[in-house]
Amino acid sequence: MCLAIPGLVTELLEGTRVMVDITGVRREADTSLLEEPLDVGDYVLVHTGFIIAKLDPKQAKEDLKMWDEILSN
Amino acid sequence: MSEPTKAYRDKKVVDALISKIKYESEKRKEKTKIMHVCGTHEHDLVKAGLRSLLPKNIDLIAGPGCPVCVSSAQDVDEVLWIADNHNVIITTFGDMMRVPGSTESLYQAQGRGVDVRVVYGVSDAIKLAEKTPEQDVIFFSVGFETTSCVTAAEVIRTNLSNFSIYSSHKVIPPAMELLLQRDDIEFHGYLAPGHVSTIIGTKPYEFIPEKYNFPVSIAGFEPVDILMGILSLTKQINEETPIVDNTYGRWVRYEGNTTALRTMDEAYVLSDARWRGLGVFPKTGHEISDKYAHIDAKKKYDIPELPVTDLHGGCICDEILIGKSKPHQCKLFNKTCRPDHPIGACMVSHEGTCNVAATYEEIIWE
Ligand code: SF4
Repeated sequence: MCLAIPGLVTELLEGTRVMVDITGVRREADTSLLEEPLDVGDYVLVHTGFIIAKLDPKQAKEDLKMWDEILSN
Repeated sequence: MSEPTKAYRDKKVVDALISKIKYESEKRKEKTKIMHVCGTHEHDLVKAGLRSLLPKNIDLIAGPGCPVCVSSAQDVDEVLWIADNHNVIITTFGDMMRVPGSTESLYQAQGRGVDVRVVYGVSDAIKLAEKTPEQDVIFFSVGFETTSCVTAAEVIRTNLSNFSIYSSHKVIPPAMELLLQRDDIEFHGYLAPGHVSTIIGTKPYEFIPEKYNFPVSIAGFEPVDILMGILSLTKQINEETPIVDNTYGRWVRYEGNTTALRTMDEAYVLSDARWRGLGVFPKTGHEISDKYAHIDAKKKYDIPELPVTDLHGGCICDEILIGKSKPHQCKLFNKTCRPDHPIGACMVSHEGTCNVAATYEEIIWE
């Protein structure tokens, strides 16, 4: 039930709405629970039609670096 | 296109993490017991076969992580009482339909003519209320912080005289504290729920290492995410340096989602809540605040006190929910109680511990 699905913002619509591509399916989502501004190309988590989080791309890159470390020792 | 999740399913990384976890867990003589409190964790880790991949001396225990499973029969009974005594349409999530009340579920009540409709979320319930001004619509709202913050947004901005919300929301950190205070369940670390944490942040868990000297690791849901969380816990346990480790940093911030938190603060007050078969846990629920009483179904309708039966026919959901028993220890499991015929609440949702165990039929319990 607490499942939130990652998607990609593809279009900014009117007011607090954006279009999100969730594994190939385009869906409108509400941004009113998010403090940070959104842009096309941001990854977001969608839960029951609302965006609840925005991906931190720097941290995602850090994760990949960490995998390299794990694999190398 | 979706989040680049492939990296988080990489077999090489999974194998490397498992051997690191093995190395850490072998430093201990006793078994390392880790409890998660998230139905999505249970579902995703079983689906990925992680219990069988992990070394035998790691025990992953499912705690009270499924909001549908922990909701008391009382909530179903009260919603049905409103439906039987007023002209209303009940709306709720699909998962709630077959959750047993004291005498019947919403699904069974629907069979005798009660107007119950499944919605994707609170916004759809509001749309329905707008279309049916002559009839009251109630949204039966169940969930932890991930879901209840969405309902909170609508509590604040909706003002329809024929719409109200029956709140059965629970909050996770105080429930985690109550489990730590019990001496009948033994475990050594908490795997904290990734999506709840996107909302509440890492801060609300800090009392766990500080006050209880107990490790916490926030983890996501891909196999690599879950294993990163487990590795962090095994290390913390061995080194006796408990902290709140955030291994889901790409989505979870220290302060959480501040807008969602402010919205919940405005819409709700912390309240005592009834957990299925476990009784009332103080300060583990979110009721609608008096300021928004007009949208609170519990205040709008004068619900009498009703007798409550949470567990039916030998169901041990109360023990399953706190990780004290495992599904196969229930004599009804996969016999009279099955996913297509649930007797207890833990068999209903695809994130319920009994449902997951029955669906995947993996040898997941020792
Ligand atoms: S198998 Fe069914 S009856 Fe037994 S504990 Fe699980 S939900 Fe309850």
